[in-house]
Amino acid sequence: MNTISLAPLERWLRGTAVFRSIVRHGASETNRNRSLIVFENLFLHVHPVKVREKTLRFSHTYWLGGVTLACAVLLVATGVPLMFYYHPSVPQAYRDMKELQYVVDNGVFLRNLHRWAAHLMVFTAFLHMLRVFYHGAFRPPRQFNWVIGVVLLIVTLLLSYTGYLLPWDQLAFWGVSVGTNMAREAPVIGEKIRFLLLGGNMVSENALLRFYVLHCVVLPVGLLVFLAVHFWRIRKDGGVQGPSDDAAGSIDEAGS
Amino acid sequence: MKKDSLRLRLVFAITSLLFLIVLAISPAKNYFREYRSVQRDFRSLGMSRAKSLKAAQAYQKRPVAIEQVWLRDLDRVDRCTTCHLGVADPAMADAPEPHRLHPRTAHTPGDLERMGCTSCHAGEGLATVRPEAHGTTAEAESPMIPLAYLEAGCGRCHTSEKVSQASLLSRGRALMTRAGCYACHAVRSHEQFRSEAPPLNTISVKTGGEWIHRWLKDPSAVNPNATMPNFHLEPKEIEELTHYLFSRPVPRDLAAAIEKASAEPAGDAATGKKIFSESRCISCHTVEGKGNGSAPELSKVASSATPGWLLAFLRDPQAFDPVTRMPRYHFSDQESRDLVAYVTAEFRDFDAPKEILEPIRVNQTLAENGKKAFSRLGCFSCHDPIQGEATEKFGPELNGIGEKRAASLDFGKRTDLARNPPAWLAAKLENPRSFAAGLRMPSYGFNADDTHAIVTALLSLGSQPVPEAYRPPLSGSPAPIPGGAVGALIQRYRCLSCHQIGTQGGDISMAPLTHEGSKVQRDWLVDYLMLSFTIRPILEERMPVFRIPKDEAVLLADAIESFYVDPSIPEDPFAGRPEPDRNPVEGQRLYVTLGCRGCHIVGAGGGYYGPPLTDTSTRLKPGWIYAWLKAPQRWRADVRCPNYGLSDTDALRLTAYLGTLHGEKAGAKVGGKK
Amino acid sequence: MSTLPPLTAVESNDPVGTPRRIALVRPDTRPSVRRTEERYVMTFPHLILREVILFQVVVILLSLAALVFNAPLEEMANPVETPNPAKAPWYFLGLQELLHYFPPVVAGVLLPGLVVVALVVIPYARVNLTAGPFWEGKGRGTSLTVAGIAAALFLFLAAFRCWAIAIPTLLVTAALFAARGTQGPGFRGALSRLSLPQWIMTWFVVVATVLTVIGTFFRGPGWSWVWPWLSVTHP
Repeated sequence: MNTISLAPLERWLRGTAVFRSIVRHGASETNRNRSLIVFENLFLHVHPVKVREKTLRFSHTYWLGGVTLACAVLLVATGVPLMFYYHPSVPQAYRDMKELQYVVDNGVFLRNLHRWAAHLMVFTAFLHMLRVFYHGAFRPPRQFNWVIGVVLLIVTLLLSYTGYLLPWDQLAFWGVSVGTNMAREAPVIGEKIRFLLLGGNMVSENALLRFYVLHCVVLPVGLLVFLAVHFWRIRKDGGVQGPSDDAAGSIDEAGS
Repeated sequence: MKKDSLRLRLVFAITSLLFLIVLAISPAKNYFREYRSVQRDFRSLGMSRAKSLKAAQAYQKRPVAIEQVWLRDLDRVDRCTTCHLGVADPAMADAPEPHRLHPRTAHTPGDLERMGCTSCHAGEGLATVRPEAHGTTAEAESPMIPLAYLEAGCGRCHTSEKVSQASLLSRGRALMTRAGCYACHAVRSHEQFRSEAPPLNTISVKTGGEWIHRWLKDPSAVNPNATMPNFHLEPKEIEELTHYLFSRPVPRDLAAAIEKASAEPAGDAATGKKIFSESRCISCHTVEGKGNGSAPELSKVASSATPGWLLAFLRDPQAFDPVTRMPRYHFSDQESRDLVAYVTAEFRDFDAPKEILEPIRVNQTLAENGKKAFSRLGCFSCHDPIQGEATEKFGPELNGIGEKRAASLDFGKRTDLARNPPAWLAAKLENPRSFAAGLRMPSYGFNADDTHAIVTALLSLGSQPVPEAYRPPLSGSPAPIPGGAVGALIQRYRCLSCHQIGTQGGDISMAPLTHEGSKVQRDWLVDYLMLSFTIRPILEERMPVFRIPKDEAVLLADAIESFYVDPSIPEDPFAGRPEPDRNPVEGQRLYVTLGCRGCHIVGAGGGYYGPPLTDTSTRLKPGWIYAWLKAPQRWRADVRCPNYGLSDTDALRLTAYLGTLHGEKAGAKVGGKK
Repeated sequence: MSTLPPLTAVESNDPVGTPRRIALVRPDTRPSVRRTEERYVMTFPHLILREVILFQVVVILLSLAALVFNAPLEEMANPVETPNPAKAPWYFLGLQELLHYFPPVVAGVLLPGLVVVALVVIPYARVNLTAGPFWEGKGRGTSLTVAGIAAALFLFLAAFRCWAIAIPTLLVTAALFAARGTQGPGFRGALSRLSLPQWIMTWFVVVATVLTVIGTFFRGPGWSWVWPWLSVTHP
């Protein structure tokens, strides 16, 4: 054997006090360790230790919620670096777009990734909703999680829409102008809502600032909160697969 | 299960690898950006050209980084020097682009930090990638000004009509003024522009239907120097417009003057010919193309205007057109009759039919339609401009036309054109209506050179004026034009049509009047005004003989003496100077050694380029001579007289010598005959 | 019934074996518990790895897209220069297309508001929970009612010249009738299993998609109809 084995190094690493203080479970392929991996990890412990095999099938969920979540994670990961290079002011906002292209290393890549991930997220959120509807996954006990899903869809749309203005180019300006003009048509409160949203009577620097704060603080925090509830509910209601067909009735009755 | 798990791990290994590879592509692309290799090339080029070890080390140590010039007042950042690293490096004098040293200009080297690159060349200063920086794509925000039109860049800051060292731009702007572009198009600092097209309220008694037909069909066929463009009118439109023009009422006083003039007996053509040449009409007009050309061609004028109209006009042109540049001469009734007799006999189109000046009978319906056509075609922009505050112009605004992106220009049917602004502008000038149906801009028949010059002038029009700090100082300070009797005389003789006073006035005369009071002796001026003669024999344009009466000449000369003076010019330059400074002999020696003879005549010999100095003592004031000798260009920027950098003593000695020259008065009159 | 045996905690020493399931049955409930043997797998690695792979695949595909296609960036916003047409982001273009047919209050406020409300109440409406396949046990009367409603809807939309909704409505109705009386596998079989709410949702999705596609690709200056493959020479 002429290749160098990394096994001794791994053994040494796992033996150090620091490593053991972080990862408490062992490395061996036992179901106990596999369980510990899941429930000793903050991020993984929303999962049960075991899942039904059939829920892993592609046709069960088409992984649509997963893709949507992946997009959300990617959007945060690209959005935060983009914030470093962005000023929500006129005309600097537009120049910052140019600076991303001309000076910032990988700036265009970041922006493109953010843009396409946003579109994909809106799209897969729609599809996810349709999948849940046609599979009847909104049935009790998951009615309220469906409602939260609708809220999440709206938050996603608002995130995408507020982000649409930020480059401050013609596309952004007129896209948002057209959209907010629709809000104006609402009886009685339409004009007021529009004024509140734009911080004025037309799309201006005030609107840019409001959209920026909404896009980077208010809506992401809202998304995070509702996502947490969404996932929590999924877990409580029996995981991705939902309450198993045979158990659903009995749990319902057992709980009564 | 085991097998499944193994497959899963294999897929995981593959996607992990792909994940890392894909994420590494963008940083790799970033590393291989063009400017980095350009900078590395520059480094090795510099090292190979370095004259010393130290210089070579300096090139070697240059980090690869984005370079930029921040123009704070312009709110702009120019990164052109990221690739054009050698613009200010003398070692790169003949290096290949993009490393080459910038050629010397009025602003290079020296103004790079203040003006950056895009102030003159335009382009996207922020960009660090070539197509965007140079603006070669149709979508590019700010296309570079092509080298052939580079003087447009000068024009962004230099907004005056004449820009020294930018002859193409100056020519383009002069052409635009002549063509009257500003009558229909709003352009900054030309808000007060008024076309020189004549008012049309006397046209029905001036000319005939046939002439109007011919003129409207194609003005340049009637007169090759016509300023009016060709509107490509339909025969029906021509008919309607003619009826409309004949339906316009003639102001009563003008009608009476014309009627009276028509009834007068004919004058003597032979005398008229003499008056014509004495009055120097061709200082402004042309006859068969000869002459200055700032006023209409006269060779066929008798076939376009009736003798009565000509006579009445000649007596008081300013009553016909309040803003005409034509002065009011002091002709006697008989003299003006003679002049018109000469003009009617000589200056006619012998091929024209007899009835060319016959009036037509107005048809009201056609006239009504003609009135509509008159406003639809925008004729009023030049012929009937609305006086007063800025109103909506007939054509689109031209401010910012020089900064347009190709993508925002409407190429319409012209798919044959290169997609760039100069090509679009040139096509607009050459064939304005070829872009789409229903366009109204007429054709001016510019040749290729004119088009090139005008496109340059158009490309110089930015959407915003440059900041204060970048505006060049005004050439000359504004000087007041007095009111009252003197003002009326200046108006009557239209001094400003040829002379400059302060920042106003035309450029036909080489002698600005701004400092005339400090320059010439009053008595000489009185004589000159009454009977002007040529001061510089080389010039074609000569001051017309207005036949100014003595009292008016005295009034004008006194006014000039008191108004148009420069306080920095000493009354007596010799005051308080030692005796040797007044030595004319030393001055004469200087006159010879400096080679003044090359241009000036004293006595029998000398050149013809500058004004003769024979009668200097009676013509010029010593203070002026001294001030001029110290710095000729201070008084007229474009003068050829060299600035020898004379010391005070030398200048005074030369002044003293010139002060001794006084030719007999007869000498002046000889000059006048030339 | 006798008292239950005392419960003892049993610690399994077999780390790989499936843990034993224990069911506690109270005397007052049904004595029988249905039990199915379902295959379970460990979340790690089976689910977690799949999730990581999914994330990686999403990132890889989006990165490739980001490397090839640049996000659009037009010239700087200019409030005086209105592009023609001014379009909202794609997900609102269905609404914008609606504005073309209906008054703004209807298209811009009423309909989107109704859609949101309808989505929220889905799980609370009994029909959504109980409805079986649409044609199951339905007679001629239902056919006539369906045909009548579809015809009324079509005429109403036609009155507004709203072909973008009218024609998809016809198509969905046609599919509805095509599903009648079929069963078994295949596409028509799948259609036959759709319940009434699912048919309504299908109609909504088809209409929304058609409107969005039209708004995105088939609308030019002045919201006029253009063919996306014919380039517009000048705006």
